[in-house]
Amino acid sequence: MSMETVGQDSDTDETPLIDVRNLQTAFFTEKETIRAVDGVSMDIDSGETVGVVGESGSGKSVTARSIMGLVEAPGKVLEGSSIRFHQLETVRDYADRFSGHTVDLTELRGEHDPQELLGRIQTEVTAETFGRERRDEITLTDILAAGFGDEMGITDEDDCVFVTERNGDSPQDITAGFIEVTRLDGERQRQMRGGRIGMVFQDPLTSLNPVFTVGNQIKEALNLHRDLSGEEATREAVELLEAVGIPDAGRRVNEYPHQFSGGMRQRAVIAMALACEPELLICDEPTTALDVTIQAQILELLAQIQEERDIGIMFITHDMGVIAEVSDKVNVMYAGEVIEQADVYSLFENPKHPYTRGLLRSIPGTQSGERLETIEGNVPTPTESASDCRFAPRCPEAFDACEVVHPSHVEVGEEGDDHTAACLLYPEEMPETRRVNVHREATSDDRRGDSA
Amino acid sequence: MSRWRYVLKRLALSIPVVFSVITFLFLVLRLGPLDPVAARLGQQAQGADVQRLRENLGLDEPLWVQFQDYIVETLTFSGESWVVRNGAEVREMMFEVAGPTIWLGAWAIVLPLFIGLPLGFYAGLNPNTPSDIIANVSGIIWRSMPNFWLAVLALAFLRSTNGGDGPFGFNWYTTGPQTQSAVGTPTLNFATIDDIFGIPMLTGMDWSAFFVDLKLILPAAIILGSSSMAAELRLGRTAVLENVNSNYVETAKAKGLKGRTIVWKHVFRNALIPIIPIVTNEAFILIGGSVIMEQIFNINGLGRMYFRAIQTADVPLAGAIVFLFTVIIISLNILQDILYTIVDPRVGYDQ
Repeated sequence: MSMETVGQDSDTDETPLIDVRNLQTAFFTEKETIRAVDGVSMDIDSGETVGVVGESGSGKSVTARSIMGLVEAPGKVLEGSSIRFHQLETVRDYADRFSGHTVDLTELRGEHDPQELLGRIQTEVTAETFGRERRDEITLTDILAAGFGDEMGITDEDDCVFVTERNGDSPQDITAGFIEVTRLDGERQRQMRGGRIGMVFQDPLTSLNPVFTVGNQIKEALNLHRDLSGEEATREAVELLEAVGIPDAGRRVNEYPHQFSGGMRQRAVIAMALACEPELLICDEPTTALDVTIQAQILELLAQIQEERDIGIMFITHDMGVIAEVSDKVNVMYAGEVIEQADVYSLFENPKHPYTRGLLRSIPGTQSGERLETIEGNVPTPTESASDCRFAPRCPEAFDACEVVHPSHVEVGEEGDDHTAACLLYPEEMPETRRVNVHREATSDDRRGDSA
Repeated sequence: MSRWRYVLKRLALSIPVVFSVITFLFLVLRLGPLDPVAARLGQQAQGADVQRLRENLGLDEPLWVQFQDYIVETLTFSGESWVVRNGAEVREMMFEVAGPTIWLGAWAIVLPLFIGLPLGFYAGLNPNTPSDIIANVSGIIWRSMPNFWLAVLALAFLRSTNGGDGPFGFNWYTTGPQTQSAVGTPTLNFATIDDIFGIPMLTGMDWSAFFVDLKLILPAAIILGSSSMAAELRLGRTAVLENVNSNYVETAKAKGLKGRTIVWKHVFRNALIPIIPIVTNEAFILIGGSVIMEQIFNINGLGRMYFRAIQTADVPLAGAIVFLFTVIIISLNILQDILYTIVDPRVGYDQ
């Protein structure tokens, strides 16, 4: 279903497959609130690989888990976060099956004025909360998708399908819309997991259940999302195993995970994730536990799968070398925030953020002196919303303002190549005081009361 | 094929074990201070009576001849009791009293399995909730109390409820099926079990008699199984907790499986792996425990008979019972290994 429909979908040119806006995931412990993901925005297109890179503890995995809906208590995706899944076929399917959870924005637009609604929101919101630059750009869609419609009685807590454009009344007439992943629950959540978004985990040695055959575990997914069972499912499972390059798949399908090598197990896990033909594949450090030759094979396999099936891949790793090889776009994360966003060539040729530069310098072989250069210190655990630059204490180029102004994303590359960084050193051409002001305004100007 | 070869190998290896166990028993009884003749005739008996009995029992023969006879008789269950029931066939004696012991043992295994394990799984699925803490704490307390002490307390309590004197007017004698005496009164005749449970099984069950027998055995079975119950509870909890947080559960969730499917299919199957040796090991304890329990609750079973045979140096009877116990334990061990390979595919018979 994926290949043809994506081609027909007129919408994919403008809207990404999945659009993460101001994602905030926090863990509430007795001692403190850990803001593991704090305002992450990124988007992923079909057929595109987006890399997410950063040190351990920078919030990469929690971002992935939030998209999968796998964040569990005491963790919570906070209000204001929005993850929009735009694939039209899925939206139509959901609108058809879960019509009770569908919000028709084409109707609501006439009834509500977004600016007026903004004034009624109880909590403090800024344009940044909705991933917008200016307050007057905020749309009704933004407000409702971020979950603020619940308290005003416009949306129900379990509404998750948002229709933005349609030609008629039937679900097939929907021409644009999205599924708000953060609002999914129960059956709707499970249909999305595995069925539309697949995930490959870090450790292939433990991510398969040791007491069931590999085939059994693949068939479980086939049964769940594609209604295949018995012979048919077995045949499909064998085909999947063949597709991920497992030799003698007909025999292997009846073997247990411990009879597979590490690389083969990761192939089996990938086959399992692909079983339901997802539109998006999240790979959470899929090659970290494998040796380098196997790693190369797995990366090649993923590239091949992407070419065949035109799926979007979110690739999480801390290995800059892997990022350079697989991704089209890169998000560099630090302490729960994306601090630099660029296509892979700009990022490696022209890294802007001091943290990105530090990361690139700590790849063995690229340092200037004898010793390997490292970034001193550790990633801090963010417990409060940022009022400074979280990297400042470790940053070689930090100045006084870094401790009091939270940087916002600014264009740092050539015109139009979407290279942004959140650092007070930019925009480069401005003098320091003006630069700092740009950032200060970006984060404070839109606070409520100022512009409303 | 390889499974059967493995079982055969295990059986062959168990021959020296059986041999050493029964030899050890023979040495202890024959070379120790216990004297079957004195046990039968009294400490004061002298002269011709003693001599005649010694000859009768073959105690005058050289020790190696005695040992030879003992081994043959034990392995074929063909000996005759010296003291406990003079001249009676060991095989028949054991057959008569095996019923109550099996009845007690079966309930002592089943009750903890069906109470302790579900409680443990429930606690593991709801960690750190009040019900988990209650289950856990009572498990620890339950396990810390020794069998024999618990048994005496329970007996005293049950007896005290006669005539509705228990708390809230509880009367053990009238709770459920009416019983004349509390568990353990000497008038209890458990041999009736065979009549009710054995023969009428073909035509139908006498349920009221079944429940009477169940009620009679219940306190003993619960107490005998108490430590297994607590062990299974605590181990079940840990096993479930460990598996619930494992990576393959995460994968299963990412696949979109329902929570219930994940728990029943993926978690429980894995949680069973560490439980199997616990259950079979507890079965060993039951055999030892039944000796004490049958003594306290006055149940006329194998354990009690074994106790008396040891006390009176009734070598043929004690030897036969020990041989039976050894065989049971070895079979349980082999059964455990076979179960292991069924539940956990990673365990094989190859090197």
